[in-house]
Parts: sequence; structure tokens; C-alpha cells
Amino acid sequence: MTRDGIALKADLLGKKYGGRGQGWALRECDFALPTGRVCALVGPNGAGKSTLLALAAGLLRPTEGTIEAPDREHLAYVAQDKPLHPRLTVADTLRMGRELNPGRWNDATARRVIADTLDPEAVVRTLSGGQRTRVALALALGKRPELLLLDEPMADLDPLARHQLMGLLMADAAEHGTTVVMSSHILTELEGACDHLLLLHGGRIRLDGPVDELLAAHTLLTGPVADLAPHTVVESRTTGRQLTALIRREGPVEGPWETRDPSLEDLLLAHLRTTEGAPA
Amino acid sequence: MSTLALKGTYWVTVRQYRRTLWLAAAAVAVSLAVIGGLRIWDAQTPDRYYEDGQRYAADDNRGYEALRLALEYGGMWLLLLPLLVGAFVAGPLVAREFESGTYKLSLTQSVSPTDWLRAKLLTATATALLVTLALTGVFRIGWSRVSGSYNLDWSDRGPYEATGTVIFAYVLAAIAVGALVGQLIRRTLVAMAATGLVMGVVLLILGAFRWSFLTVKTVTGPAGPTLWAPENALMTDAGLLTTSGVRFDQSICWDEVNRTPGLDGMNDGGMKIFERCLAQHDVTSQYVDYHPQSHFWPTQLIESGILLALAALAAFAAFRVLRARHP
Repeated sequence: MTRDGIALKADLLGKKYGGRGQGWALRECDFALPTGRVCALVGPNGAGKSTLLALAAGLLRPTEGTIEAPDREHLAYVAQDKPLHPRLTVADTLRMGRELNPGRWNDATARRVIADTLDPEAVVRTLSGGQRTRVALALALGKRPELLLLDEPMADLDPLARHQLMGLLMADAAEHGTTVVMSSHILTELEGACDHLLLLHGGRIRLDGPVDELLAAHTLLTGPVADLAPHTVVESRTTGRQLTALIRREGPVEGPWETRDPSLEDLLLAHLRTTEGAPA
Repeated sequence: MSTLALKGTYWVTVRQYRRTLWLAAAAVAVSLAVIGGLRIWDAQTPDRYYEDGQRYAADDNRGYEALRLALEYGGMWLLLLPLLVGAFVAGPLVAREFESGTYKLSLTQSVSPTDWLRAKLLTATATALLVTLALTGVFRIGWSRVSGSYNLDWSDRGPYEATGTVIFAYVLAAIAVGALVGQLIRRTLVAMAATGLVMGVVLLILGAFRWSFLTVKTVTGPAGPTLWAPENALMTDAGLLTTSGVRFDQSICWDEVNRTPGLDGMNDGGMKIFERCLAQHDVTSQYVDYHPQSHFWPTQLIESGILLALAALAAFAAFRVLRARHP
């Protein structure tokens, strides 16, 4: 179980997969996610996002370190491939949610996610990727979890369904104080929805904190090329004599530069770009 | 169906494998129809009687012959049942969950991994034992008519397994082995093949050694006239004895016969030389080793015991593997 106020906590967490030539998928991860946050888990492919979520869900044992998460009764997990039993119908799949989560299952919530878009007698095998996502999310939300772990939840959905489900998810999370950890490639879907950020690269955490604090600590500046010390440069580009840089501020920015607050997307892209070539 | 009364993981398991359950029920119904039909066909031709009052099936009773054939094959099919059950448990029941990733769904619900596997295995066990009971019952319906005839004696492969406890023990062992193999080899088809192979080897090994569990009984008599084992016995060995009671290796004398020049010219095929050789080696009597029919149940119980021990070991290992991998 987790401590008061912390929904998910990792302590020097590491995971190495067996087999020759396989390195560490995750290494020395330290973080503590407060209860009630909606956390975006971001990083390039192979950064360790899915591994971290599977560890949090209790499906994998850590190779080293620890991860503290609610027990399986109090968490829900939607894996990237949205696994469902192919031969069950939609109605049977929801019934399964009720049978396997006695005392917790909320049918109304699950049905709200399905939202009359699916025939209850349709067999899961015949559903499209987006429809499967809907059923998987219905199962996860119907369970009334304290911690909701979503691995690329919206990847298969069309923009309309994505918008509708994201709204539903956020409203439900806000209403019940659910902590959500959601990995995604779609940066726009995170903007506005998430209030916490975990950036993974090469199996290590590169950025961790509340979105507003992270945004406030960074400045996007443009102006003449010059030494930016004492600030930490996350990313800089020069075109002619013009410099564009994202910096982590150390004190107030003084100089001939034009400054503005970065958007979440600016911040993520800058960090993703610079960590791309960096050694893991 | 009875799914209404089931709860939790048991409901999910039954719902998931409904088609397999129906298939099993259909297999039982078909086998009952075949054997029942053949018995009715067989009953159309009245039996003949020996002078001493013993009955035997008429030579032109084709129903009887078909029934015999059906039981010879039926016994073999029944031997395949543990392989089928084991392959089903290893593949579709266990390995497929890991191969297709549905274990991520199953193991993040409010039931523990142990409960999850236990529900699967207990459902499979209950079903498999019922089906086995039904099929052995069907087998007996046919066997009660043709028992003791060629290839269908109490000790023959097929009838031996089908009329005792061992078939149930084989099925239980297959389920446990399947549960273990399915987790170790998380690929549906490979796990099915591996479990079938393991159970096939177990069947062959125990089949080869089951008549060595109990010591055989022996009858002896003077050399010469044919020596018979008691009625219904399973003869395991027969041979010659010297006066001191030592078993004599006949090949010594056959070798001597074969070494004699001009063997082809002898009209008795060298029998005289053979008999002279036996006399030289002081061979005076003969013996027959056999298992009386009373050895049937002790042998069944020993074999079942070995299989149940295997089942317990494999089941224990299966749950250990599950707990080691999934906290």
C-alpha cells in the first residue's frame, strides 16, 4: 500500500528483461506521484513507459528497487494492445468486470463509456481497434480504481471519440479523485488534461513534477546569440544571428532577449529532441 | 445452462470455454450413440451355443465384429484423452492468456493470480473427470459384451486403462502438467505439443513397466506337454528349467542345432539334436510366469498412485511458477 497522499512511488526502481543482449528497460527511477494527479508519462519509443506501467500494475517484478502502488483491487490497467477475451461479447466482458471485482463494480460508469456506440451482443473479436479501446476503458473505469494506469489509451481512436472519452475520463477522475497515469505520444491530448509530468528516456526519468511548476521553471527566449549562463540550456537553435532557446532559469533572465512562457508541447519537444542523441 | 449459478472466475472460465464444453458433451453423446447402436445391431443376431452351454457370437454376426472393432479403437482413443486434456490446459487455457496478453487483463482484476489459475484448473478438472467418467461408462457398455475376446482382455492396453482408475489419474496428471508447461512455454501451439509429448512419454513408460510393479506368479510342470497359465491370466514369460530349478536359455541349444552341418537334409529340422542338447544340459521341466487377474486392482492402484504423485508435483510447481512471476 502507499503512504498517505502518495498514489504511486518508485524507489531506485529498475527492470532488466531476461535474455541475452537485453539491457535495462528501466533504471534508477525515483518518483512519488501525489494522489489525485493526472500524470502524463512521456518519452520516445523504448523509453520504458510500458515497463513502468506494467510494474505499477503488479504484472512484473522489479529487478531492483521498489514500487509502491495500490493493490490489484484498487487499481486498473489498460495495456497498450487492449487485451480482451476475443470470444466474449461486449455484455459478457462487462459482466466479467462485475464478476471479477465484487463489491467495487459500477455498471453505470462502464455503460457510460460504452455510450450506446456498441451492440452488447457483438463479439469482441469482431470489434475495431477503437471499439476495443472503448470496452477496455469501460472495464477499467467500471472497477472504480484509485489508480488508473493507461498505456497509450487513445492511439486507436478517431479525434471525435478521443475527445469524448478524454472528457469522460477527466470528469470521472475529477469526480472520484482518481489518480491517472497515462502514457501517450499525442502531445496535444495531454495539454490541458494533465497536471503532472513524467518524462522518461533510455529507462531513466528526465523530468518529473507538476506541469505548472515545470512550465514556470522554464523560459523560451529568442534574441542575439550569447552565453546563456547561469541558466541551464535544454535546447537551443541558431538561425543566422538569431538564437531560440528553452532554458531552465537560474534567477531572473536579464539580457536582450525576448522571453515567453513555453507551452507543455514546447517543453516536451525540447526535452525529447535533446535527449534523443544523449547517452542513456 | 448452469453458468447462472457460477460466480467470479468460474463464471468467466466457463463462459470463455463454452464451445469446448459443448464439444466435450457432443463427443460423449456421439460415442454413446455409436456404442449403443452397435450393441443393438449385435443383438439382432442370436448367439450360438456350445454343447456345454457356453455361448459364442455367431460367425455371421457383423454387428458383433463391428462392436469389437469399435472398442479396440475406442480404447485407443480413450488413451488419447489425457493427451487431449493436457494439451487443452497447456494451450488454450494457460499459454494463450500469456501469448495474447489477456493475462494483463485477468491479473489486474480483484482476484489473485492463484485464484485465477485455481478456477481455471478446477473447472478443467471437474469437466475432464466427468467426461472421462462418461466415456469409460460408454466403453463398459460395449466391453461388457466383448470382454475377454482377442485384444480386449482385462490386461490389454485400452481395456486395462478404461476399466480401472488409471485413466482418471492420467487425466489429472495431464491437467497439472499442462498447467506447468503452459506457463513455462507461453506459446499456445508449442505448449500443446510439449504437453502431449510429455503425457505420451509417461503413458509409454508406465505402459512398459506396469507389469513389473508386482512380482509374477509361476507354475512349473514337466517338459513336453503344453503348460497353461490359469484362466484369464496375463502370461509374461515361459521357458525351460534344469533339474536344479535354474532357468535355461534355450538359445544355447538352438545355436548348437544351427551349427550342425547338413541341417537342411534332416527331415525333423534338427529336433533330435535339440532334444539331445536339452538332455545334456539336464533340462527336465518348464515354467510359465503370469499375472493372475487378481493383480488388476493392485496394479491399477500403484499406477494411479504414481500418476497422482506426478500430478501433485506438477500442480505445486505450476503455482510456484505463477507466484514467482506475478506477485
